[in-house]
Amino acid sequence: MRLRAGFVVIAMVLSFFGARLVQLQAIDPQSYADMAAAEGSVEVVLPAERGEILDRNGIALAGSIEGVMIVADPLWTAPDAKPLAQLLSTSLGIDYFETLEALRADSRFEYVARRVPSTLANDVLDDAEAEGYKGLFTRRDPARDYPARDVAANLIGFLGTPDPEEGARPLAGFELTFDKLLSGKDGSAHYQVSGGNRIPLGVNTIEKAVDGDDLHTTIDLDLQWYVQRVLRQTVEDAGGSSGVAVVMDSRTGEITALADFPTYDATEPLESPKSAYVSRALADVYEPGSVEKVLTMSSLIDAGKVTPRTKLTVPPRLFRQDRPIKDWFPHDTIRLTLAGVLAQSSNIGTVLAADQFSPAALSRYLHKFGLGSTTGIGVRGETAGIIPAGPLLTSQTKDRMAFGQSLSVNAIQMAAAVNTIANGGVRVSPSIIAGAATTDDGVEVGTDTTTTRQVISADAAKQTMKMMEKVVDPEDGVAPSAQVPGYRVAGKTGTAQRVGKECGCYDGTFTVSFAGFAPADDPRFTVYVVVQDPKNGGGGGSVGGPAFSKIMSYALRRYAVPPTGTKPSDLPVEWGRPTADQ
Amino acid sequence: MSTPQLSDPGPGPLRKQAPRLPQIPGRAVAKARLRVVPRRRTRTPRVPFVMLVSLVLVAGVVGLLLFNTSMQQASFAASGLEEQARTLTARQQTLQMELDDLRDPQRVAEQAQALGMVPAASPAFLQLSDGKVIGVATPATIDNGLRIRPLPPRKPASLTPDPIIREEVADTGAGRRGTGAGDREDGKKRDRQDRQDRQARRN
Repeated sequence: MRLRAGFVVIAMVLSFFGARLVQLQAIDPQSYADMAAAEGSVEVVLPAERGEILDRNGIALAGSIEGVMIVADPLWTAPDAKPLAQLLSTSLGIDYFETLEALRADSRFEYVARRVPSTLANDVLDDAEAEGYKGLFTRRDPARDYPARDVAANLIGFLGTPDPEEGARPLAGFELTFDKLLSGKDGSAHYQVSGGNRIPLGVNTIEKAVDGDDLHTTIDLDLQWYVQRVLRQTVEDAGGSSGVAVVMDSRTGEITALADFPTYDATEPLESPKSAYVSRALADVYEPGSVEKVLTMSSLIDAGKVTPRTKLTVPPRLFRQDRPIKDWFPHDTIRLTLAGVLAQSSNIGTVLAADQFSPAALSRYLHKFGLGSTTGIGVRGETAGIIPAGPLLTSQTKDRMAFGQSLSVNAIQMAAAVNTIANGGVRVSPSIIAGAATTDDGVEVGTDTTTTRQVISADAAKQTMKMMEKVVDPEDGVAPSAQVPGYRVAGKTGTAQRVGKECGCYDGTFTVSFAGFAPADDPRFTVYVVVQDPKNGGGGGSVGGPAFSKIMSYALRRYAVPPTGTKPSDLPVEWGRPTADQ
Repeated sequence: MSTPQLSDPGPGPLRKQAPRLPQIPGRAVAKARLRVVPRRRTRTPRVPFVMLVSLVLVAGVVGLLLFNTSMQQASFAASGLEEQARTLTARQQTLQMELDDLRDPQRVAEQAQALGMVPAASPAFLQLSDGKVIGVATPATIDNGLRIRPLPPRKPASLTPDPIIREEVADTGAGRRGTGAGDREDGKKRDRQDRQDRQARRN
C-alpha cells in the first residue's frame, strides 16, 4: 500500500515535469532560446570613423576626434541611480532626468552620453569609480571638431547633435554634400561576456567598421582666414549687409579661398541664424555691374570689332528707346578711347562700343564665359543666375547687359569669367575639391574633372588685360587703391544698382565689387571681392579696391610670386586732346 | 597453432639421412642440426601502458586546462592592451586637439598682434641666380594692421538716448552765481555732440 502511494507521488511529480517540458519545448520554444542567448551576450555597434575634411596642405578643417560613448549597465547602476545621474549630468552637461531614466532602464546596455571627448570621459569614469559606483563603461564613438571655428565654415558645414540610432547628422555644407563619402560604414560586434571579459570560445561575430574617406579641398587655411578677416573688416566698415571674396588660382581654376560674410562658428552653429550657413558666393545672385564690362570689351576685341585705341565720343547722356543711360560721373561730351572708357568705367562709352554687337552675339559670348549656368563645384544650393533670352533679349536689354545690369550672376561664375582673361582667353572651370570626389547625388566634382575652353583669343585677352591695367592707374583710372605695390595689377571696379527683395526693382542700394588679377602680365591669382548694400556711399573702387589689394598682396607674398618687373601698359585713355588736363 | 611435425622434431628422418653423409663427428652434426626455436611467450607488462595512457590523459587534461588558462590570460591581456590603446589614442587625440588649437590662425594672429606685429607690407625678392633684387621692400606700418575681431554688436539707439535738454531761465537773483548751471548745460550739449559724433562714426 505504501509502495503504491509512493508510485502515485512519483507519477504526479513526473507528470508535472512532463507538462513543463511540453510548455517549454512545444509552446514557443524560440523565445526561451532567445532569452538564453541574450543572457550574458552583448551586441555592440562599432562606429566607423568619419573622414576628415582637409585643406590643400593636409591641415584638418574638420576632423574626427576620438570621442567615446558612455554606456551603463543598469543592473549595476540602478541602485545608485540618483547620485550617479547627478554626477554625470553636472560633469558632462547632459540632462539629469534622461540620465536617470537610462541608469534605471530594464536592460543591460543603455547609452548615457555620446561623442564625449575621451579624456573627459575617462576623468568622469574615474570619479565615479572613486565614489564606488559600478556599471559604467566607455566605447569608441568618434566626434567632430572644427579647429579653425569660423574659417571656411560656410563651405564645410557642420554635424548636428548625433542621433542615437542614426549617428552623425550632417546639416550643411560639405558634411552634407559628401556625407556618404565621409561617413564610411558602421560595423557591429556580437559576443558573450562574463565578468566584463569576453568568453574566449563563446559566440563571437565581428563585422568590421569601414572608416570614411578624407575629403581634400583646394582651400588654403591660412589664406582663407586672412581673406575672411579682410572681408569682415571691409563689410563692417562699409556698413554692408553681406559680402563675398574669392581667390582663384589663375592657371588651374582652384579656389584657394572663398570667404562669405556673415559667417558662423562651426563649433557653435546654433548661436548664429540659419541664414548664415549658406555660401553666398554661390547661393546669392546679383547684377555684377561694371566688372562685366571687361567681358563685353574682350568679346568685342575678340570679334575684331574694336581695339583698345578705338576712339569714342561720349555724350553726357545717351538717349535710347526706353530710358536715358547715364554715367556715374557728370561730364560734357568727352572723347575717350576704349581703354579710357574702361578705366573711367563709362556706361555710355561701353554701350556705344557694344553697338557693334547684336544682342544674340553678346549673349553667346557671355554664355561662353560661363555666366547663366551653374559652376558645379560641389557646394550646395548654387543658383545659376540669369542671362535674358528669347523675347526678353531686346536691344535695350543688351545695352544694359553690356555694362553689367539686367543680368544676374553668382560670385564664382564672375570670378571664373574674369579669370578667363587672366588665363589667356581660356576659361578653366573652377573647382574647390582637390582630386575627385562624388557627391551623394552621384556627381563627380574636383580638379580631376576640370574642363578648359577657349572663349576669346589670347591676343584679345592680352589687349583687355592692358586696358584693365589702366583702371588702377593713379592718373587715368578709378581705383588706384587696388594697386599692389611692386606688381602690375589688372582689375575692374563694379558698382551696380541692386534689385530690392520687396519691390523687385532697383531700390537705391548698390552692389560694389572689384575683380582683378596679378601679376598682370603673368597672372597667378584672380581675386574678386563683392560687398552688398554698403551704406557709406562707397563704390567698387573705394570699398572693393583696398580689400582686393590686401588680399592679393597677401596671396602673392604667401606663394612667393615675384614681381615681373615689366612696365605697365601706356594705352591712351583720351584722344583729340594732346594735353590731358584731368 | 603449429603443425606437430615441425614443432616436434623427431629423430627418425635425420637418422635415415645420416649414413649418406660423409662421416662427421656426431657432435658437429648435433651442432649443425637446425631446430625450430621454441616460441617465447612474453607477457607484456601492463604497468607502462596504463602509465602511458594515464599520462596522456593527464597531459591532455592539464594541457587543455593550461590552454584554456592561457586563452583566458590572453583575453585579459587583450582587454588590457585594448584599454591601453584607448588611453594612448585619447592622449594622442588630446595632443592633436591642442596642436590644432595652437596653430589656429586666429590665435596666432591675436598673439602676434598682442606683440605689436602687423601683416607684412610688400617684400623684395632676391634672385639667387644673378643676385638681383626684384621689387621694393617697404616696411610695414600701423596702417597695415588688420582688425581680426568682429566689431561689437551695435546697440539699439534706445540704450543711448539723447539727453533731454530743458532751457531754464535762471532767476535774476542767482544770475551771477548761475554759471554752474550754465556750465552743466554746456556739458550736456557737448555730451550730446560727442555721442552724435560717435554715432556718425559708427554708421
